[in-house]
Amino acid sequence: MNKQIISFPKDGKPSLIPNRWQVWDGEHDEGGIPDLEHGMHKVLVPFHWWITHYKNPDIIHRANQGEIGVWFAADDDILKHTDIIEAGKSLWPVVGAHFPIFRDGRSFSTAALLRGRFDWQGEVRAIGDVLIDQLLQGARVGFDTFELRADQNLDVALKQFDLFSVVTQNSWRDQRATIAAS
Amino acid sequence: MYKYDHIDQTLVDQRVIQFQNQVERRLNGTLAEEEFRPLRLQNGLYHQRHAYMLRIAIPYGLLSSKQLRTLAFIADKYDRGYGHFTTRQNIQFNWVELEKTPDILAELAKVEMHAIQTSGNCIRNITSDAFAGVAADEYVDPRPICELLRQWSTLHPEFAHLPRKFKFAINGAKEDRTVLLCHDVGIELKKNPAINNGELTADIYAGGGMGRTPILGSLIKQGLPWQVLPSYLTALLRVYNRFGRRDNLYKARIKILVKALGPEEFARQVEGEWANFHNEAKQSKDNFTQAEWERVAKHFTKPNYKDLTELSDEQLQSHADSKLNASEKIGFTRWLERNVKPHQVPGYASVILSLKPHGTAAPGDATSAQMNAIADLADQYSFGELRVTHEQNLVLADVEQMELLNLWRAAKNYNLVLPNIGLLTDIIACPGGDFCSLANAKSLPIAKAIQERFDDLDYLHDLGDITLNISGCINSCGHHHVGNIGVLGVDKDGEEWYQITLGGDQGNDASIGKVIGPSFYANEIPDVMTSLINTYVEQRTADEPFIDTYRRLGVAPFKEAAYRNNGKHSKESSKGAIA
Ligand code: HEM
Ligand code: SF4
Repeated sequence: MNKQIISFPKDGKPSLIPNRWQVWDGEHDEGGIPDLEHGMHKVLVPFHWWITHYKNPDIIHRANQGEIGVWFAADDDILKHTDIIEAGKSLWPVVGAHFPIFRDGRSFSTAALLRGRFDWQGEVRAIGDVLIDQLLQGARVGFDTFELRADQNLDVALKQFDLFSVVTQNSWRDQRATIAAS
Repeated sequence: MYKYDHIDQTLVDQRVIQFQNQVERRLNGTLAEEEFRPLRLQNGLYHQRHAYMLRIAIPYGLLSSKQLRTLAFIADKYDRGYGHFTTRQNIQFNWVELEKTPDILAELAKVEMHAIQTSGNCIRNITSDAFAGVAADEYVDPRPICELLRQWSTLHPEFAHLPRKFKFAINGAKEDRTVLLCHDVGIELKKNPAINNGELTADIYAGGGMGRTPILGSLIKQGLPWQVLPSYLTALLRVYNRFGRRDNLYKARIKILVKALGPEEFARQVEGEWANFHNEAKQSKDNFTQAEWERVAKHFTKPNYKDLTELSDEQLQSHADSKLNASEKIGFTRWLERNVKPHQVPGYASVILSLKPHGTAAPGDATSAQMNAIADLADQYSFGELRVTHEQNLVLADVEQMELLNLWRAAKNYNLVLPNIGLLTDIIACPGGDFCSLANAKSLPIAKAIQERFDDLDYLHDLGDITLNISGCINSCGHHHVGNIGVLGVDKDGEEWYQITLGGDQGNDASIGKVIGPSFYANEIPDVMTSLINTYVEQRTADEPFIDTYRRLGVAPFKEAAYRNNGKHSKESSKGAIA
């Protein structure tokens, strides 16, 4: 897990912040969430795991402490579970959307739906195979934190966000420049 | 034609810097080739058999003389003195160096050009009618919509990594000159007094494409007001982005999703997604506004046409006759017949410059000298603009009829007036095995051999309209599925063979050709063509074009003739490939 993540709030500036959330892949489930790394209390669990475990009292307790978020796999159809996600809005401090490989763009649409359809106001984190050259697109569709793949250079990453001063279509973050010019 | 303002210019300039940075990281080893690949592809940079190839967008086929001169300059400075115009209104340079590509892109940005999204799994360069704005059969000039959608799709963040490439074609005329139904999305523009207050609307076709599984697009939406195109297309692409297949490269195009769901169900899912955008509050944000329309459309006004009287063909001919000798007369008459097209404005015509000389250059290739000459012709005869056709030719769209003869003479010096437009030798061909590392077989030598076999213009004119398309593999870059005659390179045990299809067609009666039988060796192809053409000549009724004869008779007589003397498939009787 990466010790630092990029945070880029919608109306703020990009910066590096400590990573407080460990992503659990859902493997080695021996009746609950496994032990987290030293010093970590907060965990992103797979959404499909949440669906089958969220009534478990231990999970409810930890969720109420603000220690559990979920992450969506690229092939999770989030529109099939609107009730659970609506309920999750008041429980999860963070949701993640996963990139199994950098060139799989499904999680861009997941983030766009979370912002546009579910009106999700909290943090949306990009996890998995997140590379420098996905940051700009991710930031525009709805992600505001990024846990980059461990080998990525964070200084180069931080410089990506001011490469473009204009955009030509609307997105979560910005309106097209062309409309103001018209 | 469209002129960049500071927004467009800033965007392409900053895109050059972004790419420069990506190339630097590639060269210093911090960006792995596998991860660089989609980034370079989204900037039109392929790796071919021998070198890098750069594909540059010519959005909806429109070029200024200044831009063409820049392309000529790039051909000379960074390539080997020529470029290749493709079937999707792009130009390709086959011999560029990775290190130099940022410089090339910077040169392009200076003349309002780019290579953004000419490849990769994103929304590609949008193609349209090469005769937009001048065609006599036009309902609506599609160019403002093309440009609005070019901007909307450029660096669209949500659709940067689709399951596969995504191609739009947009048409606004009675005749379809865009191969609309072979595109992932085809947009047909209309004006109907009964819909949208008589304002522009769009019919949307989805799920067309060629390749391994050729499918024609299905109508999924009618009468869509132009203003809502961004939200509707976002909904459509979102459905595809989420549910298009990613497990199998050959099943990843939208055509497979539309086929698997059925067009009705696909349309329903798009509609469901769209309903979410299409409420009062959000609509106002996403829709194109009238002001945006005007920002773009003001550049597509008519040029400063003179008040001229329309000349009939006879008048044109007799005007020229006195100035031409006997052999010139035949050439000019044929050229008027094949390469000159009617115009909306009296006294004007559109001229197609043929990039299909018989056997001396690859279809669609132009040298830098030709490009510079064509730029001069455009300045002198056609308001400094030209267009690229998907058949890989160039068009001077606004030529005074009285200047046709002068233009013909000037263009002749550069070998650009062969009167073969729409004829058998106006071959569409992909680069094939000479350049492309995906090829099963060469396509350029086949095109050359056919052009050499059918070099008699009298005979070609007598044969009339017929399309012949060649692809070096099933990816179908040469559109062989929609050629009246299609030639496809196939690999059998490491040898190059060619499969023939018949009955494909583009345009309003688009259809996919059918394979006639086992494949042939390269050196049999000219004879096979002769057999097919002879069959047509024997069987046709007066004035019946090839495709109609084929549709009337079916494949049997053609097939019988093709295999009567050829296709023995024994290495002794028919050896090897054409050199
Ligand atoms: C290095 C050279 C090229 C490579 C590697 C290449 C690769 C490909 C591939 C892999 C496909 C199939 C996509 C699919 O079906 O999913 C394709 C399709 C296509 N290519 Fe190319 N291509 C090259 C050059 C060209 C050229 C020069 C042209 C135009 C003359 C062209 C025009 C097209 C068109 C029109 C299609 C679309 C077929 C369809 O709709 O399915 N390509 N290309
Ligand atoms: S059809 Fe095949 S051989 Fe021809 S350019 Fe496309 S990929 Fe290459």
